[in-house]
Amino acid sequence: MFKLYASLRKELLLLINDKVGLALMFLMPLLLVFIITIIQDSAYKMVNENQIPLLVVNHDNGKEGNKLVELLTKSGLFKIDAQDAIPQESLKSELLSRGKMIALYIPATFSAGLESNAEDVSTILMDDLGLERDTAAREKVSMPKLSFYNDPVLQENYSYSVMSVIQSYMSVIENSLMIDRMYANMDIAERSAKLKDKMISNRVGIDQIVARNNNSTAIPNSTQHNVPAWTIFAMFFMVVSLGSNIVKERINGSFLRLKTMPTTFMVVMFSKMAVYVVVAALQVALTFSMGVWILPKLGLPKLSVPDNIVATIAVIFISSMAAVSYALMIGSFAKTEQQANGFGAISIIIFGAIGGILVPTFVMPGFMQFFSNFSPLHWCLEGFYVLFLKGGSWQDLRTVFAFLGIFIVFCQLGTYFKLRLERII
Amino acid sequence: MAGQVCIAIRDVYKRYKSAQEDSLSDVSLDIMQSDVFGLLGPNGAGKTTLISILCGIIPVSSGEVQFFNNGAPYSNGERKSRIGFVPQEYAFYQELTPRQNLDYFGAMYNLPKKKLEARREHLLEVLGLEKAADKKVGTFSGGMKRRVNLAIGIIHEPDILFLDEPTVGVDVQSRNAIIRYLQQINQAGTTIVYTSHHMSEAEEFCKNIALIDHGRVIAAGGLQHLKSVHDAGSLQTLFINLTGEEYRD
Repeated sequence: MFKLYASLRKELLLLINDKVGLALMFLMPLLLVFIITIIQDSAYKMVNENQIPLLVVNHDNGKEGNKLVELLTKSGLFKIDAQDAIPQESLKSELLSRGKMIALYIPATFSAGLESNAEDVSTILMDDLGLERDTAAREKVSMPKLSFYNDPVLQENYSYSVMSVIQSYMSVIENSLMIDRMYANMDIAERSAKLKDKMISNRVGIDQIVARNNNSTAIPNSTQHNVPAWTIFAMFFMVVSLGSNIVKERINGSFLRLKTMPTTFMVVMFSKMAVYVVVAALQVALTFSMGVWILPKLGLPKLSVPDNIVATIAVIFISSMAAVSYALMIGSFAKTEQQANGFGAISIIIFGAIGGILVPTFVMPGFMQFFSNFSPLHWCLEGFYVLFLKGGSWQDLRTVFAFLGIFIVFCQLGTYFKLRLERII
Repeated sequence: MAGQVCIAIRDVYKRYKSAQEDSLSDVSLDIMQSDVFGLLGPNGAGKTTLISILCGIIPVSSGEVQFFNNGAPYSNGERKSRIGFVPQEYAFYQELTPRQNLDYFGAMYNLPKKKLEARREHLLEVLGLEKAADKKVGTFSGGMKRRVNLAIGIIHEPDILFLDEPTVGVDVQSRNAIIRYLQQINQAGTTIVYTSHHMSEAEEFCKNIALIDHGRVIAAGGLQHLKSVHDAGSLQTLFINLTGEEYRD
């Protein structure tokens, strides 16, 4: 026991003396969680909470153009900037110079075209029903076209969403016009309101249901993603501290010296793993505390801690073991400290990128989603997602444990055989 | 007890994987108890390989090495507890203090806490490290680091001490302190096996030597005896006479 105590103490002292490693392991995740959460939260708010800025140029000579603008304003989705004086030719440059992302142009014949179309529909219906109608010839105006302008940097699906919203308001206007025209042709114009109300208010609704396995109220947001994601990233960054420690001990002969002593190398490796697993647990405690207590004070969403605490501890443990095992393997294979630090850090950034730490895997192309399965950070994050966002049970964590277990065994065997080759073990 | 064989090396061969030649070839030596035995030779002769085999770091390709204490062979476990090794490299933790290093390596030698503390303080004092005992070793001079390296190797009062170039790159004062202390522990009964490139230091320190070149023992025995047999006035002359003057890389 005294050997184990001495070995643990030595590892702890080495860790305390490694100021750069400590900063990377404890300050970096706090800064990353803080900065990235604020940045992503603004993006979330732009879509979910804030109104979308929309530049509107209404050149319509009738009243339907105003009606459309009124409907868009009432929807609460848009912050309308009406600039009717702008000619259509200069709308592109105006959009870019005003810093707006989207603009809508309503042409002069907008109302006339819609009314003409409504008249045509009404005529067809009256004729088919064999009803009398006013046969006076009316001027035909072709169907109008709205013009939708968007900044090229705007994502395509975002533009489509806005256009769909406009399209749905156009349906309301067009249906209303057709009903008005038909009722007018039948000389019962004053009775059209009831039908219009019925058609507009009684539409099929869509209930949005988030797929979770329990009644968890955690909503996917920037905090719920970033706190676990960057904590995992920081856990794996222990490769810089632990990896270079191993390289130093291999190169300076400390490991070989231990081989001449009446001790087992298991004590050395166990001590390293134990100390760094505790470091990982402290990293989790620190960043999660920030998510629960500090981020809400800055107006950011609060981190909702999962109900299943035992499963959470298990996920933290297996994630930290994966990080420690990876650091041990890099430290065993690297020939110099620079190699361990350089390769270790870059590999973690790559693993993080393909593993969904920087951007979620579901927005990646198919082949990248396949490659994400090879990133240990992906499986660690998946473990936290199961707990945080899906309220998952042990059953749901089986795949996560299986993949991380394989990764840990692979790294430990790699470390063992490399140290055997060097005759350290 | 002097006069009894402490280490018996018999027909030892060593060839590293992927090497074309043997690093050690047909090496047979007897090292007596309480001896100061010098393993001398030019660069690449096989001295470090032989010390590594004796310390159990690498295995022999063929042959046998046996350790005895007053004529009785050591068991494997006992051997590790009773030998000390001071490598050529600074094989300790430069981020830690001498006290912390000694605490760690002493515990690895199974020393009880009380005894470890007593030995630690004794060695810090006799090796002149007391004042710097709580400073990080990384800030030390080469001589101080050599003394820390030595202190770690003898913290458990070994019966047999292997030293691989223990005074390389140190100042005269540190070298004197190291050699003086090694002579003291030898007088107290510790068998010392030592390699060095300092011929004058080896001549002053060693009782018996083995000259190794190209992995073979080319001369072995009492220092004075070898000098007279080969008609050499000094160890350096003996060394040059037997190994030649060509550069060894």
